[in-house]
Amino acid sequence: MLYVVLTFLLVSLLLYVILAGADFGAGIVELFSTKKNQQLTKKTIYRVMGPVWEANHIWIIILVVILWVGFPQFYNILVVFLHIPLTLVLLGITLRGVAFVFRHYDAYKDKSQILYDWMFRIASLLTPIFLGMTAGAMLSGELIITNDYQAYTFKELYITPWFNWFAILVGCFFAGLCAFLTSILLIGESNPDNRAIYVRKSRYTTIAVISIGFLVLSYGFINNVAFITDFIKNPYTIALIGISAILIMPLLQSIKNAKKVLSRTLAGLQVVLILLAAFITHFPVLILGANANINILETVASEKTIQVLGISLIVGGLIILPGLFHLLKSFKMIKVLEQ
Amino acid sequence: MDNLDAARLQMAFTLIFHIVFACIGMVMPFFMIVAHKKWLNTRNKVYLELTKSWQKGVAIFFVVGAVSGTALSFELGLLWPEFMKYAGPIIGMPFSLEGAAFFVEAIALGFYLYGWNKIPEKFHWLTGVIVGISGVTSGILVVSANGWMNAPSGFDYINGEFLNIDPVKAFFNPAWFTQALHMTLAAFTATGFAVAGIHAYQIYKQRQIELHKKAFKIAITFGTVAAILQPLSGDLSAKDIAERQPVKLAAMEAHYNTQKGAPLYIGGIVDEENEKVTYKIEIPKALSFLAFGDFNAEVKGLKDFPDDVKPPVAIVHYAFQVMVGLGTLLLVVGILFFISLKKTALSENNKFWMLFALMAPIGFIALEAGWIVTEVGRQPWIIHNVMKTKDAVTPMPGMIYSFYMYVILYSILTIAVSWLMARQIKLLNQSNLS
Repeated sequence: MLYVVLTFLLVSLLLYVILAGADFGAGIVELFSTKKNQQLTKKTIYRVMGPVWEANHIWIIILVVILWVGFPQFYNILVVFLHIPLTLVLLGITLRGVAFVFRHYDAYKDKSQILYDWMFRIASLLTPIFLGMTAGAMLSGELIITNDYQAYTFKELYITPWFNWFAILVGCFFAGLCAFLTSILLIGESNPDNRAIYVRKSRYTTIAVISIGFLVLSYGFINNVAFITDFIKNPYTIALIGISAILIMPLLQSIKNAKKVLSRTLAGLQVVLILLAAFITHFPVLILGANANINILETVASEKTIQVLGISLIVGGLIILPGLFHLLKSFKMIKVLEQ
Repeated sequence: MDNLDAARLQMAFTLIFHIVFACIGMVMPFFMIVAHKKWLNTRNKVYLELTKSWQKGVAIFFVVGAVSGTALSFELGLLWPEFMKYAGPIIGMPFSLEGAAFFVEAIALGFYLYGWNKIPEKFHWLTGVIVGISGVTSGILVVSANGWMNAPSGFDYINGEFLNIDPVKAFFNPAWFTQALHMTLAAFTATGFAVAGIHAYQIYKQRQIELHKKAFKIAITFGTVAAILQPLSGDLSAKDIAERQPVKLAAMEAHYNTQKGAPLYIGGIVDEENEKVTYKIEIPKALSFLAFGDFNAEVKGLKDFPDDVKPPVAIVHYAFQVMVGLGTLLLVVGILFFISLKKTALSENNKFWMLFALMAPIGFIALEAGWIVTEVGRQPWIIHNVMKTKDAVTPMPGMIYSFYMYVILYSILTIAVSWLMARQIKLLNQSNLS
């Protein structure tokens, strides 16, 4: 049953990153659009994301629940030492969520739209950066895991772990990934006249993601961040990254030819490969701290709890997944056949 | 202010905020599908207009409820990491099912909001029903987790360790049913009267009377029926608390001296220092009867509990008085509505509508007061008789700033949502329904 729970953990993480990532990316793409394209992007995003975005964000709740129920000590470390970036993530999720709904459900479309638009765009950029910083903090080797809170300063315990160049770069990488996903999604959603805009954006964001990824690796390598030095040594990781690198050429080709299904599949696959590579580098160690590494399997809750959790997840999954698939299909987030 | 008090304030503040939005997001879909059904049956355009207008309300309240709920799911851990470390594995089941129910709600809402003229009519309506049912289910599941904090079960607490964990038993803890019933009825009462009150005010102002009367009738029917059932559920809760949390009951009633045939105090000013209540109305033997169903039963007073397990008495007592008082008021006003169905002269008087308009916030005040009773009344425990709140709080200093941030954020959101609702109503009143 532990493996069922771990699978759900990984799947929710992947789905959250891809689905919510595409949603965060919507705001980022809008932010980096010219004024004319902004309105176009806004309209397209509303049509594509409107019905599904709330469901996309619930994966993070599933993720949190799995962690706190199944891996309570692991979760405890996150909420104690990464309190600040997680609060910033929440702030961002709140602001962009309400801005998105306000701008479409406000009875009158007047000047207040400008406020909603900017709130949505800025929060869409900052939220994934903070999320990425939180993930970066887990792997940065700066996290001090201790019960003796008096022995360290506030800065050492609660700021440095996430506010360092490595974590910031990971944050930017994730934001880039979000924009990359959305640009490719939008290729298939725009009409032929505007398609070129998103083809161009997709190409830029692909290059951006590769460059930031390279920066993360080189920064980590130069500064001896343990996660990175191990990342480039682990054969599985190298294999996954290798596949991802090989697939970049067909991806760029499919973007150029505006192939909807193929480009989406390849983009999604890139995210899966990168995340898997990061996940297995040290698995089951998922936190690389300054003074200790945390093996998630050592923090697992009692057998009975895992059993009940696994059953709840299977039952929940059986109810949710068909509904979700139907929703994504009905509103054409998933294009089953190329048109 | 120390860290513990700041964390407490933040928790209280964010819960008070979330509860309003969660309740409206949970109950309004029911009003919406009734109006929708009437549109399908009668093809009266007014019902369609009403449904679409309510659906916008649902969308706005749902999203604020959803984001503040997401924040809360993190806050439980961020503020009370020690609590979650031990409680998570025990009460995870209702939470993981709640996650699923919430997910279903979001999916169904996606279909509902965007499904007009795109999916078959009946299926579209059905997705609205699913929104309502899954919303109420999530509510019940969350309250069941709260019930566990009042009635911890499904584990053995030995030498500071939580052993033999049984999540199913924890889920069906002794408090879950009474609490879930009381809260569901409260949500229907509060939302029913709030929505009805807003429409009553529009009728009072003579705007779009046909539409607002139809809206009023749907909302007030739900609200009144729930308000009438609520005392029965309250009685169950009281008896349950008398048995399991006698100190909470004593605080609710400001009952200091252990006595047989204990009187019930209505109102009164609590003097915590001298352990006295002045200016109260006393009903002889009523407390014994309400708590134990026996006029001569002994009710243990606060003086006979050790000091370190007593909750703050005055707040709990006042909140309890407010809850019961306002709940009763709504019950009476609700019955007035049923009378007005027979005696139509009543509703022709504009004061009738003003009365209901004034009732709009009352249900929510009662509901929040009820949560203050149950949460403050449980102090100093976070898990009754097992873990104290002060032992659960985050070690990170400076929680007061986090509290300030939430106060600012949620105050702005409250203002924004109220403003958006006012604009919705304005637009509705300008629309031409013929």
